[in-house]
Amino acid sequence: MRLFVSALRKLAPRMATLLTFGLLAGMLVLIDVAVVATRGVGNAGPGRPANVLALITFPGAYNQILSFILGLGGLFAVIYGAAIAGSEWTWGTLKTSVARGESRSRYLLTTFAAIAVVLAIGVLFALVVGVVAAAIGATIAGVGLAGIGDRAALEALPEHFVRGWVAITETAALGFAVATLARSQLAGIGVGIALYFGETFAGLFLPDVVKYLPFHLATAAVGGSTGFAPVPSVTGPVMSTDTALVLVATWLLASLVVAAGFGERAEITG
Amino acid sequence: MIDPGLALATRGLRKSYGSRLALDGLDLSVPTGVVYGFLGPNGAGKTTTMRVLTGLIHPDGGAIELLGRPFTRRDRHRLFDVGALVESPAFYPYLSGRDNLRALAASGAPTPARRVDEVLEVVGLRERAGDAVSRYSLGMKQRLGIAGALLNDPTLLLLDEPSNGLDPAGIVAIRETFRHLASLGKTVFVSSHLLAEVQQMADVVGIIAAGRMVREGSMQELLASEGIVRVRVEPDEVTAAAATLARLTAPDRVTPSVMEPGWISVQIAPDRTAEVNRSLAEVGIYASGLSSGNDLEELFLTLTGDAASTDPDGTFAGIDPSLGRLPSSEVLS
Repeated sequence: MRLFVSALRKLAPRMATLLTFGLLAGMLVLIDVAVVATRGVGNAGPGRPANVLALITFPGAYNQILSFILGLGGLFAVIYGAAIAGSEWTWGTLKTSVARGESRSRYLLTTFAAIAVVLAIGVLFALVVGVVAAAIGATIAGVGLAGIGDRAALEALPEHFVRGWVAITETAALGFAVATLARSQLAGIGVGIALYFGETFAGLFLPDVVKYLPFHLATAAVGGSTGFAPVPSVTGPVMSTDTALVLVATWLLASLVVAAGFGERAEITG
Repeated sequence: MIDPGLALATRGLRKSYGSRLALDGLDLSVPTGVVYGFLGPNGAGKTTTMRVLTGLIHPDGGAIELLGRPFTRRDRHRLFDVGALVESPAFYPYLSGRDNLRALAASGAPTPARRVDEVLEVVGLRERAGDAVSRYSLGMKQRLGIAGALLNDPTLLLLDEPSNGLDPAGIVAIRETFRHLASLGKTVFVSSHLLAEVQQMADVVGIIAAGRMVREGSMQELLASEGIVRVRVEPDEVTAAAATLARLTAPDRVTPSVMEPGWISVQIAPDRTAEVNRSLAEVGIYASGLSSGNDLEELFLTLTGDAASTDPDGTFAGIDPSLGRLPSSEVLS
């Protein structure tokens, strides 16, 4: 437990944490500002999406905000997981703990458990900021807040949140495993980003295979909506969200087993 | 069990990195309650030994005993009684010195919270403990690394170049701290290239070269029994002089210097210096320089065969041999 609490204390003031969730929340606010600022511009024109105001119209705004967080959050999470795992090797802090007799796998898994908790708090923070910003935007745009207390939407929100958190945690685990294998922060982040966009690109050619890969599964587990994320939904038979969630959990566990197994056997030098 | 009186022992320790042999059957015997100086030229295997002893890498063969009990891959708990500083100190740069030690205390051996401030006091960092480590100087990071090694009040300390970056006052303070720890019955194993520092600090010395132990023993005995006499002759007389001196001692105790042409090192008691001079004179070779002593540096260079050099002529690559080390205590020149 002391190791877990310590891992949380290490993550809280970290620039990677503040930047990841600050950026996510900041982008939500910026999008709402843009929606409000352009609300009267060319709404009737051809090619202009008629549902732009949906981003600030409750109760639909809840899902829009969550989709945005979970979509872009996948990319942010893989970078975040890689940054934290990679820095343990780059800074040599894993070495110091191992030399004190700490179990390598316990250290790595506890660090990841702390990452999962920080992700939950971060996503919740971004959601709250997004909702508040959308509410302010709705008020300014004159859309009204009638649906903000919609019972059905509010009841569905926790399940969507938990599914999304598991999905984001899976992508963070992937980054964590990649950086552990690479033993480097920069290499881990680079490979994590490459996997994210590589999977998107591969989806154009191998949709039946790619739908089982981590980022697409993460999207499917939260209902197939990608929000503003660049990962498109794979065409073809749609996987049930429950099946996708099970496969997401499998990827998550597999990533952690790989990271812990490699960490246990690795020669720690430098 | 190798020897119950030893705090640390290795037998036949082997480790390779690919085709490069880093440890070639290393035998170490570190008695309990001493400061042990672990010496060797660059690439001799000191850091590899440290990594193996702290479980960071796994040996290819051989046995290790830590504090009288076998230490293998499955015995990480044995390190709960060991404090270590391996290579450069490693910390989270964005956390303060105090928070780094708190984070370290959360791993490995259970450590009381008050211990953090105690070790900060010991290394003289209490005033700056709240500053981020990224703002620390090299010496301050080194002090923090030593504080981290002391955190669990270890029975055995393993320290890799602990004086790195320390100012003279810091070096003296650290030396006194180690001596004090040894007086309390703790064992301090110090890898260093600062020979003068080790000579002042260590009770026992081990010198390795090419992954093997070449000499180990108490500092006092080693320097007394392994005295060095250095003699200078004309470069074209070196072969004849070496043969004469070999008859006086033994062939493996006579080493012509490749770094300083004309100089020959003889492992012989310093009080036999006149005998060395006389034996050369008897065969018509007259020394133009003669020095004697039991300096650790002399002993180190003799035992490791000037292994610090990288070129066949015994110099660092690209450096003129004439810029090499000069005799430290010439009595005749």
